[in-house]
Amino acid sequence: MDGTTPLVEARGISKGFFGNPVLKAVDIALHPGRIHALLGENGAGKSTLINLLSGALQPDGGDIRVDGKPVTRLTPQGARAAGVAVVQQELSLAAELSIAENIGLGAAPRRFGLLDYRALRDRAAAASALVGLTEPLEMPVGDLPLGRRQMVEIAKALFREPRVLILDEPTSSLSAHEAGVLSGLVRTLAARGVAVLYISHRLNEVQALCDYVTVLKDGVVTADRSLADVSAEGLVRLMVGRDPGDMFPAFKPAAAGEHLIRVDGFSAGAVYDVAFSARAGEIVGIGGLIGQGQEDFLLGLYGAIPAVASSAAICGVGHLLAGVGAATAAGLAYVPADRKKEGLVLPHTIAANLMLPSLGRLMRHGLRDRRGEAALVADLARQLAIRGDTGRPVQALSGGNQQKVALAKWLPLGPRVLLLNDPTRGVDVGTKREIYLMLRAFADAGKLILLLSSDTPELVHLCDRVAVFREGRVVATLAHGNASEEAIVGAAMGLATKELAA
Amino acid sequence: MTPSASPSGSLYFAIQRRRNRGLGGLYLVVAAFLVVYGVLFPGLLSVGGFSKFSQNWFPLALVTMAQALLMLNGGISLAIGPLVSLGGVVAAITMGGPAGAFGGLLAVVVAGLVIGALTGLIVAYMRLPAIIVTLAGSFIITGVALLLLPRPGGSIPDWLSQALAGQQPTAFALLVLVLCAWKLFLATPLGIGVYAVGDNPVGAFRSGVPVERVRVVSFAVSGLLAALAGLFVAAQTGSGDPVIGTSFTLNSIAGAVLGGVGFLGGKGTMRGAIAGSLLLSVMINVMFFLGFPPVAQYVAQGVIIVGAVAIPEFAGRWRKA
Repeated sequence: MDGTTPLVEARGISKGFFGNPVLKAVDIALHPGRIHALLGENGAGKSTLINLLSGALQPDGGDIRVDGKPVTRLTPQGARAAGVAVVQQELSLAAELSIAENIGLGAAPRRFGLLDYRALRDRAAAASALVGLTEPLEMPVGDLPLGRRQMVEIAKALFREPRVLILDEPTSSLSAHEAGVLSGLVRTLAARGVAVLYISHRLNEVQALCDYVTVLKDGVVTADRSLADVSAEGLVRLMVGRDPGDMFPAFKPAAAGEHLIRVDGFSAGAVYDVAFSARAGEIVGIGGLIGQGQEDFLLGLYGAIPAVASSAAICGVGHLLAGVGAATAAGLAYVPADRKKEGLVLPHTIAANLMLPSLGRLMRHGLRDRRGEAALVADLARQLAIRGDTGRPVQALSGGNQQKVALAKWLPLGPRVLLLNDPTRGVDVGTKREIYLMLRAFADAGKLILLLSSDTPELVHLCDRVAVFREGRVVATLAHGNASEEAIVGAAMGLATKELAA
Repeated sequence: MTPSASPSGSLYFAIQRRRNRGLGGLYLVVAAFLVVYGVLFPGLLSVGGFSKFSQNWFPLALVTMAQALLMLNGGISLAIGPLVSLGGVVAAITMGGPAGAFGGLLAVVVAGLVIGALTGLIVAYMRLPAIIVTLAGSFIITGVALLLLPRPGGSIPDWLSQALAGQQPTAFALLVLVLCAWKLFLATPLGIGVYAVGDNPVGAFRSGVPVERVRVVSFAVSGLLAALAGLFVAAQTGSGDPVIGTSFTLNSIAGAVLGGVGFLGGKGTMRGAIAGSLLLSVMINVMFFLGFPPVAQYVAQGVIIVGAVAIPEFAGRWRKA
């Protein structure tokens, strides 16, 4: 493997924004047939490195080589011509166009200046088949669920027959099955000699799939080595320089508190006839494949979508909550998964976001109480370790810190129940750990936490119980100890025997 | 390779059929209005009656296309009406002169393309909001039209008026021609780009779509359509009028919205927009025949437009719940 010439290579490249160095003399070499993992916390410089390798940004120093030859100025067109295809986290699809047109967008075969739909059909079908996309090619992408769109995005990259495929967190919105298809595909491509650069926050995925790893920490390469003999703990240590033994706070069984949620025959959105109860002080995990009704379950409890139940008691209210206002008043708080669209007002300051739910309570004589607000913001920032000036727009923060703000803003209302929708998606390891500690502390303080998560280790190590959803029903409730990763995934896939406990 | 993905049939026509989804209701409403109109005005079925009807509809269809094209790629134009006026003015002052009808046609085409392209250049490369740029443009274009022709005047050759707005359905034939041209445009990489740029400009850029070029071409084509609508209106009246197009700005938006074209870009279809413009045109005619006073006509028009946006929205929510 080391005898080959790298298809694309960066030597000593540096890049800074507004005087802040983001990458400092970074080396990375993508060899044909190698699945290369790129790891690092958010803000470590991964995205910048991808943008440099794909020509979207120009380096300040160092050089980029294609097939061993230095390229003076790599443009997006140049990178495409060199066979570099990137699957970004943000999708590049147009909802109204068909799957085929999206796959071919910008690179479609032409005849007489017009799109050659016949050739497009054949080539798009081939690319779709590779990723296991079975929907009809004429279907508009807007009709597909998010995970399938991600597969279209990958098919779109394959359509260009890349020599170098860069995948930026490709599995963040995929179901376990789709992620499995993707892993198989990546291996096939590598066997054909494609160089793959794989970015993921899921370490088990990286370990199962990748041959080689480059770890970035604060813009510097801290490891560039074979993955053969590194453990997950070792990888985390390379990223954060911290022992991973304390990734999750020590598990403590919940003291039996009062029932805060008890619903029977609960239906909302995609959820049918669920019986569920939870007590104060518990952390209850909500698991399953993506889109099996988990989100509707939380939203239904929160009164954000219409729900019905044969009987319900939520925080002392003897019926389902009629709306978000009633839910907030009853002591529920919901932190959405899409923090950028639903959780935060991005252009506003951190401070403004933090006090948004509390504005009404902080009024004095019908006017805003600036002093009270400032005290509140300072207190929250301290509690949640949000560092730096709270006058900055919240979009200046990394994903992990944005998530902390989205969570923190509810605390002044003193919620008794926290409904968290995938709070650690796309969050770096360091911040994940801070969030885990926070959740543990909330539970110890007698709050009930419903933790919807797509990260299975989180469900295993953090939760008192895990309710696994499948096709809108709870198919298994696994107590801590029984809830191994295998048990959760098995139940989610409909394989497991019902190990009912608790 | 995959048996499930359009095994044999043409992908192109499969996509075209798919685009009709969600427009069934609109087609039904249009058909119902046409039936009502046909009952009220049986002359619709004669050649002369059909010609008059399609002449009423034609300029509205053109400006609706001009507007829908921009809305689809994430823009909007408030200068459609003034462009219509200018197109008519240019036609009226050139066609009577030494340039002749063909010189005049050329002048209208060039005026529409150049003004549209200029607007597009400003929007695409200076990254200014289209609504503001075209608002400013609408004042400037109106000013230029008034400068060229301070009061209604000029002339359109009689034979051209007869040919376009006489007793034959020339307008309808032209519309069919324009639609064919649009189909061809949409089958080019640039045409597909219109949707991609409107829905997801960053993604389109990353996919290798020339985003700026798509925007400029869209504005140029839109300007061309509006100016040609102006030429047609001038042929109908036989002369130029520097403010005759004013109502087309809002009517073009109304037609596009009735046809399901979204305001945020990338949502909707041109066939929907055309159906929307037809609905608007028939609606106005029906209300006229029923003897609605003008005030009631405007109010009814407004109510129907809000309804057109609200009904699919509520139907969608109801289906979800």
